[in-house]
Amino acid sequence: MSVTTTNSNNASSAASGANSPSQVIVREKEAIRSWKAPISFAVFAALGVVLFWILGRDAVSNFRLSTDTDVIQLASVDLPTQLTGIVISLALILITAYSFWLSVVKRPTPIWVVTVYGVLFMVGFLTWAGAGESILVPGLLLGAVGLSIPLIFGAMGGIISERVGVVNIAIEGQLLAGAFVSAVVASVTGNAYLGLIAAMAAGMLVSFVLATFSIKYLVDQVIVGVVLNVLVLGLTSFFYSSILTENSSLLNSPPRFDRIEIPLLSQIPIVGPVLFRQTLIVYLMYIIVAVVAYALVKTKWGLRLRSVGEHPQAADTVGINVYMTRFWNVSLAGAIAGIGGAYFTLGSVGSFQKDMTAGAGFIALAAVIFGRWDPIRALLAALLFGFATNLQSVLAIIGSPVPSEFMLMLPYVVTIIAVAGFVGKVRGPAASGKPYIKG
Amino acid sequence: MSTITRKAAFAGLASLGAIALLAGCASAPAANTASAGASNFIPCMVSDAGGFDDKSFNQSGFEGLKAAAAKLGVTPITTQSAAETDFAPNIQSLVDQGCNLITTVGFLLADATKASALANPTINFAIIDDSSIVAPNVKPIVFDTAQAAFLAGYVAASYSTTGVVGTFGGMQIPPVTIFMDGFVDGVAYYNAQKSASVKVVGWDVAAQTGSFTGGFAAGVEAKTAAQGLIDQNADVIFPVGGPIFLSAAEAIKDSAKPIVMIGVDADAFLTAPDISSLFLTSVLKQVGVGVSDVTNAAAAGTFDNTPFVGTLANDGVGLAPFHDFSAKVKSGLQAELDVIKAGIIAGTIPVVSPSSPK
Repeated sequence: MSVTTTNSNNASSAASGANSPSQVIVREKEAIRSWKAPISFAVFAALGVVLFWILGRDAVSNFRLSTDTDVIQLASVDLPTQLTGIVISLALILITAYSFWLSVVKRPTPIWVVTVYGVLFMVGFLTWAGAGESILVPGLLLGAVGLSIPLIFGAMGGIISERVGVVNIAIEGQLLAGAFVSAVVASVTGNAYLGLIAAMAAGMLVSFVLATFSIKYLVDQVIVGVVLNVLVLGLTSFFYSSILTENSSLLNSPPRFDRIEIPLLSQIPIVGPVLFRQTLIVYLMYIIVAVVAYALVKTKWGLRLRSVGEHPQAADTVGINVYMTRFWNVSLAGAIAGIGGAYFTLGSVGSFQKDMTAGAGFIALAAVIFGRWDPIRALLAALLFGFATNLQSVLAIIGSPVPSEFMLMLPYVVTIIAVAGFVGKVRGPAASGKPYIKG
Repeated sequence: MSTITRKAAFAGLASLGAIALLAGCASAPAANTASAGASNFIPCMVSDAGGFDDKSFNQSGFEGLKAAAAKLGVTPITTQSAAETDFAPNIQSLVDQGCNLITTVGFLLADATKASALANPTINFAIIDDSSIVAPNVKPIVFDTAQAAFLAGYVAASYSTTGVVGTFGGMQIPPVTIFMDGFVDGVAYYNAQKSASVKVVGWDVAAQTGSFTGGFAAGVEAKTAAQGLIDQNADVIFPVGGPIFLSAAEAIKDSAKPIVMIGVDADAFLTAPDISSLFLTSVLKQVGVGVSDVTNAAAAGTFDNTPFVGTLANDGVGLAPFHDFSAKVKSGLQAELDVIKAGIIAGTIPVVSPSSPK
């Protein structure tokens, strides 16, 4: 929106420029002093000082940077736990001070400072938690990506559906339907690709119900979504118990996608094996996120989709068919979420299990909102959640002084802090959740 | 807007109600056939969220009930729970159908069982994996699985070539952690006997903290937890909790390393034939034996509330055969295990877990 205004201002000043070239409109900028970043920094710096310095443990933390199968073998790094903790605490304090100074002079804290701060804190935390132990860094990241993939697919489905004006609570149902159908179809045909296509069809079927009820019959979208989740869970559990367990070799032992190594890229130390030694579904995820992020803002499809989600009356008056745009985009959202479902069976676990999505659809929904309905931000939110979940798992294995129940809360706590600290107020698409009645 | 919402809410409630009614109708004929049987004794069972097809303790319990019922010539009534909120309504529906003995499968059903047992003193209850309820009509069926897991820990330590073995659980509840306690103690016993230094990752007995997936679903979390153990070089993995071993199996296949697993509850070599080549052995918990004992006693009118405790001594718990691995384990291991088993039964090798049945 702001770009358009600036352009028209420039255009008008250019038009009037013939008469008075000196009259260039200079817009006054109101500097806002925001204390959010420095205060968040201060809280974490205090935590860092207490944990890494005062409670610092006298040991050596070992970080292994290469897996056994990597071509380029990096030596493992030994960090003295206490000294590293002290150095990192001091660095955190310095960055906090810098951020306070920026706020005093009414300048925002740049995103790279936040990133550096986050990485430093994480290194400090891992060094502290892994005192006397050894952490495989690519393993930590690989697990994080693995846990995020269904969330990312779900979030992309959620974004498309909500940006076009239909609240998609049914992501969980779409994931589960995709997981179930892909397992059965891939087992029967012995072909994982057919399973993937079937998963998209299954996600789409769930979407058809959501779209029909919310667009044609104007039923409350939240309720349709919730009912669909319960319905899919009930149906898949029933068929799993009554049919799949009886004939598991025929119906529930799908072939899995093989890992495809991308030449050269997969040899990059640390990130190579994490990002470029993955299955087809993960590469599809990269493409879908990139395409959705680009197409939502740069193409006719994206513009129409957003206009229907923001102001359907206006879209209708310029000749966009609101109902059809909504229907087909909600269906597309279901197909994308369906791929996320196929990841559970064809990409990861290798068979369908009852309720195997275990609430991933709801976390994906959260990622949509934390990501402010933006594909890239939602991707980051999903990755953050996946990372926190895997961090919890790794720390529990190497032995953490924190009780397991509290460790299991970690992903949720991190997400809440990230949202409260760095996201702030969010505003969804204006017409999301509101049925459009023509006339 | 709000009228639409409210209308829709009512519609949703109405359809839920209709579904509940239909579900209620569906179970009614089962009750009729049961009472039409040769005897008017009706044994019943409620599963936990795992369901009766969990290849684990719900399934073992269900099979024990079926076996006992077939022998008695009666038809059992069973109901599966999908979530914790189903426990109380499911028990109540069995009470309403005139059950004489209701077996509730799992520690998580303790509260619901206790409430129903106190409200229905004429009906007998049996609960698996919980001994917290003290009532004249409640018989706990519990297992000192730490004893069998101790043997499994010894086997794992003996088999490991990397010197690291790992375990992870579904939820941190006593019926799960008792396996992990026994396993870690068994490894420690091996280290003491053989002056070895095999390390266990995933569970700390002293602190009672460790690696858990947060539920009993075989999903991506369980695979990641197993992957974490593999990243720590573990080559024997002991996943404790219903079907989560299925995810661990995929992590092992992905790693392409010679890693093996130890099953829980049932002999996984037999119950999971697709991946039987990954199972070194299994820790057996004979839930079925306990259930059929109690069912037979109740049918004969000799029900009492003294706990049934499965131990190595009464074969309520045990270690499965090595099957394919019998040639790969160290020679003489079976003999050592027999000595240890005798020692545990005699009490000369103490196996204690904070979660052991009191």
